[in-house]
Amino acid sequence: MTITLDRRKFLQRIYQVVIAAGAAPLLSFEELLAAEVNSAAVGWSRPNLVWLQGASCSGCSTSLLNVEQITILDFLTYFTRLVYHPNLSTASGDQVPQILNKLAASGKPYILIMEGAIPVGMPHTCMLAHKPISEWAGLLAAKALLCIAGGTCAASGGVAKMAGTLTGAESLDNFLKQRAIKTPSVNLPSCPMHPDHLVYTLLHFIKARRLPDLDDARRPRRFFSHSVHERCPRYAAFQARDFARSIGEEGCLMELGCQGPVTYNDCIALGYNSNTNNCIRAGHPCIGCASELFPRPLLYHTRAEAKAKVGGNLRGSAR
Amino acid sequence: MTVTRITVDPLTRVEGHLKFETRVENGVVASARTSGMLFRGIEKALIGYDPRTALQLTQRVCGVCPYAHAEAAALALENAMGLRLNANGQLLRNLIVGAYQVQDCLLHFYQLSALDFIDVTAVLEYRGADPGLTAMRDWVRSETSSQRIFPAAPFLPRYQGDYLKDSTANLSAVRNYLESFTIMADLHKMVALFGGKSPHPVAIEAGGVTTRPTIDNLAKYRTLLNRVERFVHTCYREDILSVGKAFPGYFQEGRGYGNFLSFPYFPDSAGKNHFFAGGATIAGRHTPLDLKAITEDHTYSYYQNKPSAGIKPLGASRLEPLDWKQFQREEQRPDGKYSWSRAPRYGGKVMETGAAARVVNTYHSGRNPALNQLVDRLNRDLDIGLQDYNSVLGRHLSRYITVTLLLGRLREQLEQVRPGVLGFIEKEVPRNVRGIGITEASRGALGHWLEIDDKGLIKNYEMVMPTTWNMGPRDATGQPGAVEKMLIGTKIADPANPLELARIVRSADPCIACSVH
Repeated sequence: MTITLDRRKFLQRIYQVVIAAGAAPLLSFEELLAAEVNSAAVGWSRPNLVWLQGASCSGCSTSLLNVEQITILDFLTYFTRLVYHPNLSTASGDQVPQILNKLAASGKPYILIMEGAIPVGMPHTCMLAHKPISEWAGLLAAKALLCIAGGTCAASGGVAKMAGTLTGAESLDNFLKQRAIKTPSVNLPSCPMHPDHLVYTLLHFIKARRLPDLDDARRPRRFFSHSVHERCPRYAAFQARDFARSIGEEGCLMELGCQGPVTYNDCIALGYNSNTNNCIRAGHPCIGCASELFPRPLLYHTRAEAKAKVGGNLRGSAR
Repeated sequence: MTVTRITVDPLTRVEGHLKFETRVENGVVASARTSGMLFRGIEKALIGYDPRTALQLTQRVCGVCPYAHAEAAALALENAMGLRLNANGQLLRNLIVGAYQVQDCLLHFYQLSALDFIDVTAVLEYRGADPGLTAMRDWVRSETSSQRIFPAAPFLPRYQGDYLKDSTANLSAVRNYLESFTIMADLHKMVALFGGKSPHPVAIEAGGVTTRPTIDNLAKYRTLLNRVERFVHTCYREDILSVGKAFPGYFQEGRGYGNFLSFPYFPDSAGKNHFFAGGATIAGRHTPLDLKAITEDHTYSYYQNKPSAGIKPLGASRLEPLDWKQFQREEQRPDGKYSWSRAPRYGGKVMETGAAARVVNTYHSGRNPALNQLVDRLNRDLDIGLQDYNSVLGRHLSRYITVTLLLGRLREQLEQVRPGVLGFIEKEVPRNVRGIGITEASRGALGHWLEIDDKGLIKNYEMVMPTTWNMGPRDATGQPGAVEKMLIGTKIADPANPLELARIVRSADPCIACSVH
């Protein structure tokens, strides 16, 4: 008997073995794409997605459109069912609350992607279809199979929660805790959210039947185990105590306000815009956009400004 | 007389949380209210922060046009510093904001607006071999015949109405819709080459751009620019013209006040001779820009501050949002406050800002013959006049005009960049000064006002946004906002499917995150 296997089938068999062996966290993006979906095990092959925007800027949504590991068409028609997205859906007006209510009542499995923080203190500062977004998030999160916090605002509050804001904006995780909602969550900080982080996490959930390994802050270890600093192309300069004195110089950017040591993200390795560039390669200190303390009150500064402000307002704010 | 109320909440495919309500008498809109339903309070939260952080943080006001905030904030701080960029600094900044503006206009046309005109279900008739279209056809077919609860989401459901009937034009537009994702990703790569990443490019700082240009990144930019040019000059042009020819009535619909405000945009390498002129056109008369004429009003906005009208930029250092109870009370009152957006006025007048304002003002200024020639040619092709730019399709056409002219400028300026030369000048943050930065976001005139205290920290910050001009509510004198005025007088074929209204509001390209911030 001859067995004919094309390359794709062959790869799929291999990955079934990999997954069965529990080695799924090691899967690369390409391996996940090639892996076969075990629809019987998951209960669905293309999960329903519902996307909500709280106190957000739509930057994570526009960032998603830059994904090139798969096409947006494949994302919409092959891997997932995007039941509702505020910037892509043709549905408008009353159709929207109808969709959201019907989904929540349907008993069908779905994933909630939350972009932006949730203003808990002043719920009326973010309204959708006559109801605060916190009500919609509560309704949909409670019945979701999984909640994903897309971007820094949803993961830790971000600019919506910066010192001096009044709305009592909260991260998705804090919100779930306050409401005693037990749905598992994943945090994908970075401002904006990296599209590959979201697509990888979804593919892993669909194909490997579970979430990628998460750290204590519920971030996939694959992306958030290393600080920007330790993988920085200027790390050798740091070790040699060779510090840039101003923008444009070679050397470590630490003395110009770089937040690399306190920021965990794989932007150095993965880059942005299909690895076209990242902040350090653009000659700019890291602004810590994936850090839970983003935004700090002092980001890039000159050396002279740093000296003047140390002891004064370097850490803190005038408030 | 039959009176109906149409409330659309949310209007999707715009940035953010937008609601609008209309009162319809005998099938015609008699009054309208537009509401921005998200408030974050970023502007006043910046008080006490280092002024340089404003360049990064005001970008987070909007993830669709962050580049414009970076530029306006940089200009405001440079204005306070008394700093002029070197040639490379200006050119690189232009390459970042120009590419981003093009991306934003394509996003607005294809992702946000086109599906109000083109008919996605036309792919069902497709017989050709284009892989994107065949995949889309098979998918729509399997979805619509399925028992799923939301078949063909996110492309259905939609408002029913008069979509484009020409199947060739539909198919071509659907194919271009799919290709536009790739082109927009290319444009974001162009931004990232000098900006670091996109959205939210970091490299724009007061003093220039931190990225050192190399032969390598300039060449990459050029390669991407070639692809974008091909798409814009063929696909985008074709789609704009076929929509324009199929819906001539929409050069009449969505008439606003016809008052246009724009800021100077896209300078040469010396920071002068802006390609698009600033100024105001009121009742057909073009006048030079007067920033002192700008005030803000929040009579109908959810704030407690007094006074509520005639406030100059930086005139208030706090904004007191209504609490939950007050908010509920205003919601119940028939003439209550109804938006988080404020209402900017120019010499007391309501102004429209955006691509149409940019084109009309530049045309009147006569300082850009290339623009006037293009406008004249398009007007002949489409059988319209300059007065018709005050319309739904006039606004879409103006975005096309902006994009096609900007691409030419990007190519010219790309060749002027000197590889290896840093486009950044370091200067310390000054004390006790004010600065103003004005530019054009894709959505229109954007201004940042900055005040720095004696410690070198932000004392006050004010952003007056394009969408605040367009989507702001009524003011103390009762004048409806710009988009409210556009809605009034519109005939509604079917109140259950107010497609006409959605087309009008989307034509102004509202960005609620910007408008309220």
